[in-house]
Amino acid sequence: MKKLIVLIIVLSISLFVFSKTITFWTTETESDRQQRINALATIFEAQTGIEVKVVPIQENDLLKQIPVAKNSGTLPDLLEGGIEPLLLLASSGYMNEDLTSKIIKDFGDVYPGASRLLSNGKSNFGIPFHAWVQGIWYRKDWFDGKDLGYPLSWHNILTAAKSLNNPAKGVYGLILPKKADSYAEQVFTEIALANGARPIDENGNITFTSKAMIEAFRFYKELNKYAKPGYTTVLDALKGYLAGEASMIFYSTYIMDDIAVEDVQKSRINSFDPKLVLNTGFANKMINIRPTSYGQMVGLGILKTSNNTEEVEKFVKFLMTPKNYVYWLHMAPGGMNPTRKSVAESSEFLDNPILSRYGKEKISEIVGALDSVERFEFVNGKVISDMSKLSANFVIGKAINYMFANNWTPQQTAEWAQKEAKRVLGK
Amino acid sequence: MVKYTSLKRKEETFGWKLISPTLILIGFLILYPVLYNIYLSFFKVSLNFGEKNTFVGIQNYLNVLSDLSFWKSFGTTVAFTLITVMGSILLGLGVALLMNKKFPGRSIVRGLLLFPYVTPLIAIVFSWKYVFLPIDGPLVQFLSIFGFNSGTDMINDPNNAFIVVSIFNIWRNFPFVYLMILSRLQSISDDYYEAAELDGASSWQKFLNITLPELYFVIGSIALLRGIWNFYKFDEVYLMSKFANTLPIYIYEKAFSGLPQQGVAASIATILFVVMFSLIGFYVKKVLKW
Repeated sequence: MKKLIVLIIVLSISLFVFSKTITFWTTETESDRQQRINALATIFEAQTGIEVKVVPIQENDLLKQIPVAKNSGTLPDLLEGGIEPLLLLASSGYMNEDLTSKIIKDFGDVYPGASRLLSNGKSNFGIPFHAWVQGIWYRKDWFDGKDLGYPLSWHNILTAAKSLNNPAKGVYGLILPKKADSYAEQVFTEIALANGARPIDENGNITFTSKAMIEAFRFYKELNKYAKPGYTTVLDALKGYLAGEASMIFYSTYIMDDIAVEDVQKSRINSFDPKLVLNTGFANKMINIRPTSYGQMVGLGILKTSNNTEEVEKFVKFLMTPKNYVYWLHMAPGGMNPTRKSVAESSEFLDNPILSRYGKEKISEIVGALDSVERFEFVNGKVISDMSKLSANFVIGKAINYMFANNWTPQQTAEWAQKEAKRVLGK
Repeated sequence: MVKYTSLKRKEETFGWKLISPTLILIGFLILYPVLYNIYLSFFKVSLNFGEKNTFVGIQNYLNVLSDLSFWKSFGTTVAFTLITVMGSILLGLGVALLMNKKFPGRSIVRGLLLFPYVTPLIAIVFSWKYVFLPIDGPLVQFLSIFGFNSGTDMINDPNNAFIVVSIFNIWRNFPFVYLMILSRLQSISDDYYEAAELDGASSWQKFLNITLPELYFVIGSIALLRGIWNFYKFDEVYLMSKFANTLPIYIYEKAFSGLPQQGVAASIATILFVVMFSLIGFYVKKVLKW
């Protein structure tokens, strides 16, 4: 008995001393998602003996936590984040680009469009993990009744908003973001890019006061005439659409389960419309003078400070092997879309009540849009890292918020944004 | 005599032993961060990988003191502190005077009045935001009966930020003031009032010459505490509106958002620390007469 106890103690001490632990910051903070991630981490530990410490961090707090972690020496080995924080970290020299590029090469089937969004032209600073596409979700049945066409062009969107707006009946043309947050910037990005407008050009000049940008602000303000009043946010848009208050909303593919699943919809608005999934259309592009799509690529970033590169590589590859990868992606069906071609086309991925409800064609269309996703951060193959700083300071969101609060003209709004951008960038 | 001294010394040593855990804790939790903050304020703190902090002397202080937006924020914070401290004291005093009178159901009302102060902040913030929602909000729906424009979004308008956070702060904190004043009111002897009545004093005269002098030190202490707390108030202000632009939010944005300038933020915190320390010293000496 004594020998057994000694053996157990020796074994546990040696396990404690020799077993490796890696820290993984994830932005999937919801409890059901945490359960799945912890389950994956447990399986990984059982298979390899490597412990993964999963730390949930709010997406908006990611950049705030980095300086704190740097000072206290608690930086993670691996983190999950969108383009902006990864780009900002890469520009400060934090990312292990060699290992990242190697892993992408080893997979061999990552969509080039997805990979492009996390690359500086030479190497990758993040491994494309999953992605969503933003567009206009609209009431197909209401559009068909008035023969309005698809809400793809500025003209069609405005005409539909005007025609379907009926505040007396509690129905609005659309619900538009008007608060100073990242949702406002996401929506405005699509509108501006459809008009060829960018806040920073490829030479690094701030161009908020360009003619194309002022027109984009004008269009945004014009749309608001037919939008739900108030400083509406992303949650207002979601709830309003589900409750039949809005003809159109800008939203990502994360909305798919809210539209299709009874329990999810009831948790938002206390009722369920079984026909909503059939009556909903999705415009994944926008055009005024040029076509554009907007989306977010969520990547895995490996930090240069990590001493456990081998273990991190093993964990990333473990997460993205088909079985585990599909298990992860099904946390948010439709919202999390695969970046590996072999997985996107597999029947295992589509084997899900929500994804099968939308059908293979629709899902391929969504995943396919990833190739044409554009962002203010990338122009003609150049990376504009200053754009991430403007995003982190919500310059566009604030400009939109002030435009409505002070009833500024598009020109005044653009001038304020130009001044604010200069202040933030210290130019 | 010798015996007495050694006993005294023993007692002293025992006293030091008793307070030493607290002293060590304060040292770690308060003194160290304060000193580290002062140290950081003389550096350009680098967040780049592998790059060290650069010593810049008093440059951070010069930058802050010549920055117009710092002075704007400073002014906003002073105004916010004055308005909220005076507002919560006036409201708390009024309510305490009312609650000192006898009426049926008084104990229930006294308890209910504490709700704004004891309910978790985040719950209250969301309730306020819900109540003031345009179109769907209960208050706006009620007001629209009287012809009020139901599309007005009072609470989220960035131009209203200062007013909204000030009113919110007064409403949330008046129960603390009311509780303090009420406990003092209850200990004022009735004899004073009876004597004054015999002399033919009016209610106002009684309030001015008996109640107020009796409450002087309580109100003085409350003003000091609330002043310190509100000068550094972050959570309530930030949750209600990020546009209120008080100094704690200014520091937070400097230190953590976008392009973090932690050295600059540390120097602002040090300036505030010095300003508050001098103000508290002056206040304690002159107003509280310690």
